[in-house]
Amino acid sequence: MFKTFVEPFKHPYPEMDEAALAKYPGKRPKVRAKNWSGTLLRIWKYLANRKAKLSLVLFMVVISSVLALLGPYLIGIAVDDFIEGVGGSPWMLFLAGLGLIYAGSSLSTWLQNIWMIEIAQETVYRMRMDLFQHLHKLPIPFFGKRQQGEIMSRLTNDIDNVSSTLNSSAIQIFSSVLTLIGTVGVMLYLSPILTLLTFVIVPLMVLGMRWITRRTGPLYKERQKNMGELNGYIEETLSGQRIVTLFSQEQRVITEFRQRNEAIRQAGFWAQTISGTIPKLMNALNNLSFALVAGVGGFLAIRGTITIGVIIVFVEYSRQFTRPLNDLANQWNSLLSAIAGAERVFEVMDEEIEERSDSASVKLEKMQGAVVFDDVAFAYDEGRDTLSGISFEAKPGEMVALVGPTGAGKTTLIQLLSRFYDPVKGRITVDGTDITSISHENLRSHMAFVLQDTFLFKGTIRENIRFGRLDATDEEVEDASRLANAHSFIMRLPGGYDKVLDTGGSGISQGQRQLLAIARAILAGPNILVLDEATSSIDTVTEIKIQEGLQRLMQGRTSFVIAHRLNTIRKADKILVLKQGHLIEQGSHDELLEKGGFYSDLYHGHLSMNGEEEHV
Amino acid sequence: MATILSFLKKYRVAAISAICMMLIELSVELIQPILISKIIDDGIAHDNISVVWLWGGVLALSALLAFGAGVASSFFASHASQGFGYDLRDKLYAKVESFTYAVFNKFQASSLITRLTGDITQLQEMVFMSLRFATRVPLLVTGSMIMALVVNFKLGLMLVVTVPLLVWFVTWMLKKTSAKFREVQAGMDTVNGVIQENLTGMRLIRIFVRMGHETERFKRRSGELMQGTVTALRLTETTMPLLLLVMNASVIAILWFGRIDIVSGNASTGEVVAVLNYSFRTIGALSALSWIMSSYSRAAASGLRVIEVLETEDTQSTNSVGHADSERLGEVEYKNVHFRYPDGDISVLEDISFKILPKQRVAIMGATGSGKSSLVGLLPRLYEATEGVIRIDGVKITDMEYTVLREAIGYVPQEVILFSGTVKDNIAWGVPEAGMEQIIQAAKQAQIHETIESLPKGYETMLGQRGVNLSGGQKQRLSIARALIRKPAILVLDDSTSALDVRTEAALLQALTELECTTFIITQKISSTTSADVILLLDEGRLIANGTHEELMASSELYRKIYESQHGEGILHVQDIR
Repeated sequence: MFKTFVEPFKHPYPEMDEAALAKYPGKRPKVRAKNWSGTLLRIWKYLANRKAKLSLVLFMVVISSVLALLGPYLIGIAVDDFIEGVGGSPWMLFLAGLGLIYAGSSLSTWLQNIWMIEIAQETVYRMRMDLFQHLHKLPIPFFGKRQQGEIMSRLTNDIDNVSSTLNSSAIQIFSSVLTLIGTVGVMLYLSPILTLLTFVIVPLMVLGMRWITRRTGPLYKERQKNMGELNGYIEETLSGQRIVTLFSQEQRVITEFRQRNEAIRQAGFWAQTISGTIPKLMNALNNLSFALVAGVGGFLAIRGTITIGVIIVFVEYSRQFTRPLNDLANQWNSLLSAIAGAERVFEVMDEEIEERSDSASVKLEKMQGAVVFDDVAFAYDEGRDTLSGISFEAKPGEMVALVGPTGAGKTTLIQLLSRFYDPVKGRITVDGTDITSISHENLRSHMAFVLQDTFLFKGTIRENIRFGRLDATDEEVEDASRLANAHSFIMRLPGGYDKVLDTGGSGISQGQRQLLAIARAILAGPNILVLDEATSSIDTVTEIKIQEGLQRLMQGRTSFVIAHRLNTIRKADKILVLKQGHLIEQGSHDELLEKGGFYSDLYHGHLSMNGEEEHV
Repeated sequence: MATILSFLKKYRVAAISAICMMLIELSVELIQPILISKIIDDGIAHDNISVVWLWGGVLALSALLAFGAGVASSFFASHASQGFGYDLRDKLYAKVESFTYAVFNKFQASSLITRLTGDITQLQEMVFMSLRFATRVPLLVTGSMIMALVVNFKLGLMLVVTVPLLVWFVTWMLKKTSAKFREVQAGMDTVNGVIQENLTGMRLIRIFVRMGHETERFKRRSGELMQGTVTALRLTETTMPLLLLVMNASVIAILWFGRIDIVSGNASTGEVVAVLNYSFRTIGALSALSWIMSSYSRAAASGLRVIEVLETEDTQSTNSVGHADSERLGEVEYKNVHFRYPDGDISVLEDISFKILPKQRVAIMGATGSGKSSLVGLLPRLYEATEGVIRIDGVKITDMEYTVLREAIGYVPQEVILFSGTVKDNIAWGVPEAGMEQIIQAAKQAQIHETIESLPKGYETMLGQRGVNLSGGQKQRLSIARALIRKPAILVLDDSTSALDVRTEAALLQALTELECTTFIITQKISSTTSADVILLLDEGRLIANGTHEELMASSELYRKIYESQHGEGILHVQDIR
């Protein structure tokens, strides 16, 4: 019994050097906005749409704060005038008045809240919409430069942050300040001495909080680190459970897990204990001021300086007064982090968009599909050309195969054609028109892509295929699938065309996903087609089907194929051999073989494409 | 819930201490209004200053006492809850590790991860909260009611009537709002899902010029989200004003009746003030009630999810028949093996029979879903065959201990699983005591030694999030090295050479020949089947051909077709090595 009782005292306090402590002077928001006033002004612009309602809300906040102050004050009067002394007839009237004040207080609180919620949610909705629409106007390189998770977090976490702050913190800060000022004012009016006594606890509170947060900061950080490690360990071992099982390492992972678990226990114990004293401290100080007010108040009451009612009012007020003070600290932090969040949102909105409407002067109604690259060069980073001196011509309906080692610039070439990037030098024309004078949308509406890593949306198979052309009928969708060799496997799935796919398309194989992408492209009916042939091992039967589907898709269209398979390459009208950003050879299979250059070396197996990459 | 709470038993002394300390704190708070009423009635009313000082002093002392008790309660509560969390986590993890692979898979790794992390943290928080303030709120409310009754029975009744009503109201509101908030959460997930999709599919959307379509979709979803949030929040925000209204009404009633009683001499001013004070405290406590109840219901949900795992019956059979220490030769025999996944109704493997002699190389081919991975998965007993017998060196694998069986098999799964740590750690993962020489030897055999040497820190290079990113092919070879270091009698490569180029693959196969172990290779590439002693061709769970390359070329049309489609391809077949 005694042994277990002293057990908690044995937790070693984690060592912390002064330097670490110095970093935590107290509560600080994690992120701070760089441009405060600018960001606030922009939030205000969003809010300003609902100016009328917003001023109503503010009005209600004032009313509810005043009424909240009046409540305890009137109770004091009630005690003094009607209960202690023996008042006359207005007692009924007085109580009715008190009732009205209470009712008014509840009503105004309610109104301010529900109005503010509406304003806040609408504001957040508009911010979200603006950001989303802006994203779709941003140039593709923007997405290459940033991690998807980071953009995602701006659209979700940061916006949520703004949302919750607008919902509550914003008006709470306002009302806390009002209540605080009001309370202090009334207290001073009633009894300056008691007010002073109540204030004695404020410096104590500030000091106490500082002491605690200086310690909990690093402790929580330590705990967070340990927690991260443990969670990481759990995630890793459970995701790799197959290996753990196969290698019979269960006992070892359990032991390693235990060490990490123990580390959490130590750090967690102290973090929780010390931070647990915060509310206790607040409570204790409250109680202390309670005692002070009661004792000194009683003394003063006997002296006749104040009345019993004043004591009661003070007891109530002193509670009302520490709470907004504490609230204010919390709300303030959340307000700061919301502003920082909003700033991150606005940062994205300030990014340059892909094109302005004026740059697109030509609109192609029809496209033949004649593509010419004329001395095109491109660099992702200045000074380091990814592509240079690329010139070739593709006639309408021709199939062009792009061949070369990884990193040779095949994908970049395709991206230039679709205007994800624009060349730094030279020009690209389609049917004789420079593509930089065609709008992105117009240009792309004549093209279709089948990429190696097929992207599927959450939705039915039918919806996913129809993405290629939104107004396609069910029959057209099915016809396209038939041409793509996808129909038969779709029909075998439970639910057929109405089977719902998850994002990323789990539930069907990679090969089947490609078939869907082909169907999608067939449905789009493009003039120019871009294909990135699959490199990873798709099973042989599906592979044969994909080949057939692709052949049908390519018929009569100008197509660019990043080719990996000999069968495909041999069929091409023109083969472009790329190496380190240069177009080193071009021509048909036979021409290139005859020439006896790089391609022929490749073909005869003197070189292996990736072997070269790996061993050079 | 009893199962979960039993984990607290070990810490009952600390838990009880924490609650006792909290009770001390609580009683101080409950006594305060009485002390004030004493100051008013005995002190001020009788102009007795010493009484005022006395009770004032008692108040101050009790505040200090409460603080001390509070800190102590927090101390004990931390110990109890951290210990509880530690034990529960430990037990759950050990339980999960004891699962057979089939049961493990039924739960899915991601779900088990949430249970081990989020759910346990939630439960631990709940224990800490319960020991500190969650139990305090109901106690404070009941305590206030009782004290009010003691001070003045008639006035106290006011509280006794209103409080249960309000508790019922808060519970009812909570039920309504939490249903609404679940909808909001679902709406939020949908909106985030659309964002995620749009970011991932950005290029595709641009290419197909579907920005308008997507914006429309997003607009609809976030419009719904806005509506839902507004409704849910409005409901929540109604609770507090209403609660205050009712409580304040009872305050007015106390004033009204209090005055009547004072006039008639049945109550003192101090008593009325005390009852008022109790009702104010109750208001404060009630506002925390809905928050506490919602955390309890969340914790209860977590508790159920944890219990589900803890109470899953799944004991690994520990047969010890086989010859634990004898040298394994690596002869493998499947006899009339059938397999379907637990609770699956599709037959994955049907009537598979074959026999492999020691040191033979077996290539397994077939379309996706033809049962190749399942076939080799049965060998180390990741899953149990539903029918039929599998023997290694003549011993039924069901008669062998798991560790003995699995030590004989080196398995390289299809998806590469590496752990964070150094390259060295990863190779030696299955044999922690392996020396550097063994590690290098395995790396050389797996054709990864040179690559490792070229890394900045060689074998000490960190992998994973904070380390180097290896290419797909390099990772595959690393996991092959990890299997080879155990010197298995049987090696299984489940499509684990797909990202290797032809030359490296050939070198690897050559090294495997020198290793002299029975080897199963699942592959799509004809180039790796030609050197095999036996080729097994699977189609929809049936073994449709079994023989050498030449035999299959002569007998199997499907095999011929595959051969033709790939002939000569090896040369130009570019592997994406990134």
